[in-house]
Amino acid sequence: MRGYAPILLLLLISMATPPIVWGLARLLRPKSPNLNKYMVYECGITPTTGAREKFSVRYYMVAVMFLIFDVETVFLMPWAIQIKELALFGLVEMLFFLFLLLFGYGYIWAKGALTWE
Amino acid sequence: MTPTLTQYLVISLLQIVVVMGFVMTLVPLLTFAERKVIGYVQVRLGATRVAGGLWGAQRGRTHQSRTFTGGLNGFMWWLGRWPVISIFRGLPMFIADALKLLTKEDIVPIEADKAVFVLSPALAMVAAFTVFAAIGFAPGALFYFPAKFPYLGGLPFYGFLTDLNVGLLFILGVASVGVYGIVLGAWASNSKYPLLGGLRSAAQIVSYEVPLTLSLLVPVVLTGSLNFNEMSTRMATDIPVNGLVGIGRTLLMFVGFFVYTTCGFAETNRTPFDLAEAENELVAGFHTEYSGMKFSFFFLSEYASMITVSALASAFFLGGHYLLPFGLQPTWNHFFQNSPSAFLAWTCTPSILWFLLKIFFLLFVFLWVRATVPRYRYDQLMDVGWKFLIPYTLVMFVIAALLRYAA
Repeated sequence: MRGYAPILLLLLISMATPPIVWGLARLLRPKSPNLNKYMVYECGITPTTGAREKFSVRYYMVAVMFLIFDVETVFLMPWAIQIKELALFGLVEMLFFLFLLLFGYGYIWAKGALTWE
Repeated sequence: MTPTLTQYLVISLLQIVVVMGFVMTLVPLLTFAERKVIGYVQVRLGATRVAGGLWGAQRGRTHQSRTFTGGLNGFMWWLGRWPVISIFRGLPMFIADALKLLTKEDIVPIEADKAVFVLSPALAMVAAFTVFAAIGFAPGALFYFPAKFPYLGGLPFYGFLTDLNVGLLFILGVASVGVYGIVLGAWASNSKYPLLGGLRSAAQIVSYEVPLTLSLLVPVVLTGSLNFNEMSTRMATDIPVNGLVGIGRTLLMFVGFFVYTTCGFAETNRTPFDLAEAENELVAGFHTEYSGMKFSFFFLSEYASMITVSALASAFFLGGHYLLPFGLQPTWNHFFQNSPSAFLAWTCTPSILWFLLKIFFLLFVFLWVRATVPRYRYDQLMDVGWKFLIPYTLVMFVIAALLRYAA
């Protein structure tokens, strides 16, 4: 576990950096509050509605598909390292897994989930 | 001699200072280099010609497209006439840029979610910097502390923070946390342009993460390692270069490198895939509402992740600490390992030099592509990611697995 100590150290140091730098910048930067400055940007006109409205469902679908494929790559990773030890059995198993995955991939393609309009 | 835990932590601290120092100097230099490279490629009258001092760029009289000025401006112009020193032309712009970011007023919109708005650039930056813990810059110890050195005498100073055996997995895992910074920042702004930009950016990063990981699995399956040092060592020595398998491996790595680089461009939101900040559609994308140091943290994390992507590419495709890319090193070693020429024999040994040179070259490619290629359309981008790159990398992965199995 010793190998993970520097990671923790680096994490702590990089977490300490933003407050320090922002604190430093606070000493240097001007501050002249003005209500117009604190409005959100919308090409110069006053925004009438908030931004948190409905957006395209495609983004949600991309997220779901990413979840499937990312889990798949995580499954592939240990096998990729152990390929020699797992011998023919492992190879056939993984090809079978990939075949199933390809089937699902073809299905979502046919359903039009991959087409972005 | 193994160090005690305290000694180990002290050395780690020193290594963190070196690595952070390296990144923190490389990122500003990269923005400077970006100006220069794009200036030269696109013949922009920017950092290549403006010799300007800090107190104004064009103070003198102009005669036949040359400006004669006094003071620092004139001095910079004079420096720029010399072949090598001319790279310093435009340096004042870079200093002014840094000063501007540091002294800019910090604006948080009233309607924004304050806590998330402040935390998200920090999150992006922390994710981009923690990644460097697992990148193996040097093959082993950079140097040993001299025996008389207080407290640390005789201990090695490594060119990496930790030699994780799951290095690649760690890097991919931590780097993907960065997308939260972008999405949360975009959402917290409570403004329309950042929201659209953030959604686009998230969908893009997430889509290209799959082919990126799959293309990285090609060298992993060929060598059977996730560790930086082991990867470059095995690439240079272990795998036999016998006929068809050796050629197939080199070809696969060559193609895989291009696929990986494409995905890397998309992952870091760089041109031609910088749709998250397409100026003509989305003003500035997810960081529209950010200013000053908060903006510069997003900026910093983007450039730091460029360095990460380059480091991964050079370790996993371009041979890492050895000279030749794509697994060609064993052939080179075979001919030159026992060469009488000291230089040729030296090119067979691992060195931090090769690794850094490859990183710098790839960083240059980032800038080069930005200056050359126009932006993609969003539906084209998603099509390339999902319909082309994923099946393509899957096929490559299967071929690599069969090759490894046959070897």
